[in-house]
Amino acid sequence: MNERKWKQLFASARNEPAPAPPEAFATDVLRAIRREGPAALPETSSVFDQLNLLFPRLAWAAVAVIALSVAADFGLTAAGVLDLGDGVSQISAQWLLAPNGF
Amino acid sequence: MNDDAELLERIRNGAPDDFAEVVRRHQSRVFAILHRYERDAHKVEDLAQETFVKAWRALEQFDGRAPFEHWLSRIAVRVALDHLRREKKRRNEIGLPELGEDALEWLRSDDEKSELDGRAAAEILDLALRDLSPADRVVITMQEIEGRSVKEICAATGASGVAVRVRAMRARAKLKRALKKLVKL
Repeated sequence: MNERKWKQLFASARNEPAPAPPEAFATDVLRAIRREGPAALPETSSVFDQLNLLFPRLAWAAVAVIALSVAADFGLTAAGVLDLGDGVSQISAQWLLAPNGF
Repeated sequence: MNDDAELLERIRNGAPDDFAEVVRRHQSRVFAILHRYERDAHKVEDLAQETFVKAWRALEQFDGRAPFEHWLSRIAVRVALDHLRREKKRRNEIGLPELGEDALEWLRSDDEKSELDGRAAAEILDLALRDLSPADRVVITMQEIEGRSVKEICAATGASGVAVRVRAMRARAKLKRALKKLVKL
């Protein structure tokens, strides 16, 4: 195929009109989006929704804090430093034996 | 289009029904892009719907640095590419359609003044381009039919400039061979 025919082929193809979108095309698209379910629609989320989303992370953070505290207590006891239990009894004794009491 | 930015902001702030207006504004362009890769009007409509649904899903990723129209065109080109890949497998099984009289006559004619209408040209190209890989087809269609620059093709396909140039050269050679094959039919 020579250059002239090549150019003519593409020029003619360029002129072929595309099909026109149907009248209700935009409505059909919205319907298709809705069919995908509520997750597809951006909605303003409440505090509870956000907490719900954060829940797994918050739960793991709480577990980590508890584990760290227990480990620290065991560690301090093993090192001979007063453990948390001793500290608490000491403080309560000081309160109970305070001269003016409550 | 500055109006697009306002409209998209409204949608992001919880007015999903306004997306219908986005569709109305850009549907003709999306149909025009997809029609280059699929001649069946019903399939073009399905692909256009797929394009807008994908755009909706990815709306949060649109950062407004490029015009919305360009971003949407990129999605349409990707939808077309996926469609060509699916169709290539299917078409290998069902065989090729036949060319119309006008198209065959033009292909065989040596007359400098022979006319070719848009429908016959699209018919010839549709058949010849089936010999090309979907990615080659997208590049040659964008370059030769849509008249897009290499830079625009890079933006739409995500390929590098060198890759697009090499692909375009290879696609042109393959298309010339495919057209020669059609003349002999």
